[in-house]
Amino acid sequence: MFHTTKKPSSMTPHDRPMCVQGDSGLVLTTDPKPRLRWTVELHERFVDAVTQLGGPDKATPKTIMRVMGVKGLTLYHLKSHLQKFRLGKQPHKEFNDQSIKDGMRASAMELQRNSGSSSTLMERSMNEMQLEVQRRLHEQIEVQRHLQLRIEAQGKYMQSILEKACQTLAGENMAVASTAAGPFKTTSNNVGTTSTNLVPDTAIKDFISPHPPHTFPPFQDMNNLFTSEPPPPPPPPLIDCLKKPSPFISGAGKAPIFWPDDLRLQHLGTPSATLVPPPPSIGSPPDLDSLQLEMYESKPPPLSPLLVGNDAINEKKFEASVKLERPSPRQSSGHSDERVNNNNNGMPNNSNPTMSQPQGRNSSFG
Amino acid sequence: MAMAVDNAFNGVAVSDYSTSTNNSNDDFHDLFDSIMSIDALPYSPQVVEIDGGTNCNSPSNPAEGREEEEEEFRSLRLYHLLMAVADAMFGDHKSRELAQVILIRLNELVSTSHGTNLERITAYYAQAFQDLLDCAAVSGGGPNKPHHLHRDDHSPTDVLAAFQLLQEMSPYVKFGHFTANQAILEAVADDRRVHIVDYNIMEGIQWASLMQALVSRKDSPPAPHLRITAISRGPSSRRWIGTVQETGRRLVAFAASIGQPFSFHQCKLDSDESFRPSGLKLVRGEALVVNCVLHLPHFSNTSPESIASFLAGAKTLNPRLVTLVEEEIEHGPTIDGDYKVQFLDSLERYSAIYDSLEAGIPMKNRARGLVEKVFLGPRISATLRRIEQPQRAATAAEENCLWGERLEKMGLKAAAISFANHCQARLLVDLFNDGYRVEELGSNKLVLGWKSKRLLSVSIWASSSLSSSSSSSDSE
Repeated sequence: MFHTTKKPSSMTPHDRPMCVQGDSGLVLTTDPKPRLRWTVELHERFVDAVTQLGGPDKATPKTIMRVMGVKGLTLYHLKSHLQKFRLGKQPHKEFNDQSIKDGMRASAMELQRNSGSSSTLMERSMNEMQLEVQRRLHEQIEVQRHLQLRIEAQGKYMQSILEKACQTLAGENMAVASTAAGPFKTTSNNVGTTSTNLVPDTAIKDFISPHPPHTFPPFQDMNNLFTSEPPPPPPPPLIDCLKKPSPFISGAGKAPIFWPDDLRLQHLGTPSATLVPPPPSIGSPPDLDSLQLEMYESKPPPLSPLLVGNDAINEKKFEASVKLERPSPRQSSGHSDERVNNNNNGMPNNSNPTMSQPQGRNSSFG
Repeated sequence: MAMAVDNAFNGVAVSDYSTSTNNSNDDFHDLFDSIMSIDALPYSPQVVEIDGGTNCNSPSNPAEGREEEEEEFRSLRLYHLLMAVADAMFGDHKSRELAQVILIRLNELVSTSHGTNLERITAYYAQAFQDLLDCAAVSGGGPNKPHHLHRDDHSPTDVLAAFQLLQEMSPYVKFGHFTANQAILEAVADDRRVHIVDYNIMEGIQWASLMQALVSRKDSPPAPHLRITAISRGPSSRRWIGTVQETGRRLVAFAASIGQPFSFHQCKLDSDESFRPSGLKLVRGEALVVNCVLHLPHFSNTSPESIASFLAGAKTLNPRLVTLVEEEIEHGPTIDGDYKVQFLDSLERYSAIYDSLEAGIPMKNRARGLVEKVFLGPRISATLRRIEQPQRAATAAEENCLWGERLEKMGLKAAAISFANHCQARLLVDLFNDGYRVEELGSNKLVLGWKSKRLLSVSIWASSSLSSSSSSSDSE
């Protein structure tokens, strides 16, 4: 029955306002038809009692009541709860799928209400339904696990593609770089003759990720990767960003990805932006850089400190061969601005001659 | 049919284009306005980069309400212009000159690398239309052979980067691959030898995860021997990054690394790109699977005839399973009829894709621009060519139907999508942005969509007679 309380004890924060706590520690609802609220603690005592008595099948409401020794608990409460317990084993168990949980609760409620009539039939279908639900949950977990493995496998494979592309081009560039006398020809076509693919050198190097490709660190680690990177995050160029393990696959669901901001992309051109074709500064194939600039349509790069930073990071990350093409920090904004302005027309349609160059070159493989 | 073009058009209500006769005056009126309007709202690339904002441009702008109005006006204007070009190109009263004029105007307004999603899409459409015009002008219109190859040729770096971005940032690639693979896995659960014929193997990425799954099968025979035959085109066709042989080598290496018994073959198409089943090497007792991916990132630079011949040929082999990944195109009952339907549908579809990429790629401009340039631009071109075709060819009533429907007509029967497959698709898509949806259409098709727009479907089919290959005695 409904226990009125003379002095309602202070309510715990998570009680709903409509509940009052009786002297016995029971939480009762105050709606017209008072129902006992099975809190976690109460339920645990219940479970203890049941286990003591040898399991839900052996225990009876009377014995449970005696064992639990909770005042205010009636046979009625225990009967229904025991029945639920028998069916659900752990009605408090958390399901992943909310809808399943709700469905379970709904049908459990219904069963409780109809407990008088044709209970065995209800029980049986409840059982089946529950089994089905549990089976599906199991399957879902399996699927999730497999999905993770498959995504990793695909990632590994992609990695091998990117790496191979890197190596091929690096090798070719090495050859070109060592043989090229005057690296700066008027057209950018000289590299095209030796390789079928033309990739800016820095971009190649960036294919190689510094991180093991097939590990998918949890999201927190991903955060670290991007936020606590060595000093000024001299943004690795575009391709490098791609190689970072996907933050998606944390198994923890969605997570906003902290990709490097736009700033990084600006730098696509910068290390190479300093390798300006006109005054040849370094013995490196310029075409790559012009290529890169054209392809990525870089904006006016930021100030030289960043360029320097870029180089530092580039040096760290890239292999020795890149040093050949290392831009000297002196060659900073002046040249790059000029270069960028050249390329940065308002409408980079393909009518833009600089655009069409690399593409025209590539038609050899097309 | 009211086409409220959402997505990039942001709920700008559009007049009912299907009843064109009634509205033609209005259309014309609006068209003239659009063309002739002194730029009360000049297109200003107020941001150099593509900003992701559509309606809310600059938060610092005090008159934001007015900003939105202008935005809507701009959107509407672009939309009108695009429709006008479509009408001029495909409509009953064709006029290439008019189309050209409008395109010139459009080009003043939009650019493929600046502006909102809508503006960029419009620019790509404008490009595609221009290609059509130039094509026709030059050669009298040979189908499917774009004369602007330079536009579609991208450096391998670009392609690779764009692909990596696409498949990391959006579920398009993985959805198709994984769903098809799961269906294959289930179909060959008890087989010792599996043979997959892949129409468009590209870099073979789909098979990495399949191999992994095969190797880790627990409660069935150890990893079956997997054979993949890649259909390859002649040397004239465009290669993506590498050759088919390279793909084969890579797959072999990968298989070796995980301990999957594997062999790789090639089957060349005829010069006219038709498929001869006899060119395949078949082994008795193997389960034959046909895999046909026609969507991103696989460039469908192949003609519908080629695809049709492949599918027809494949059917004659009585494969255990046929997996088909394609664009989900909406069309009315009369397929060849209404270019408007198709055009608007394509607009909606690509708008949705653009929007979804925007949601998925926080790196705003370059990355998305790359993906758009490498993949979406060519797709838009191909779509327009496809829409244009029946007008020229006058035959292909079937050309524009979904390939899945073709398979059904050919007599293949639908194979159900399992709970596990559906579950996997949902889980996969959940890893990405909220806006993606997975639906089950019919019993054998899973569709990936963005918000309310369906984009990409995977359907699985089986031969109605499971006679050949693996089982010995069955015959229909």
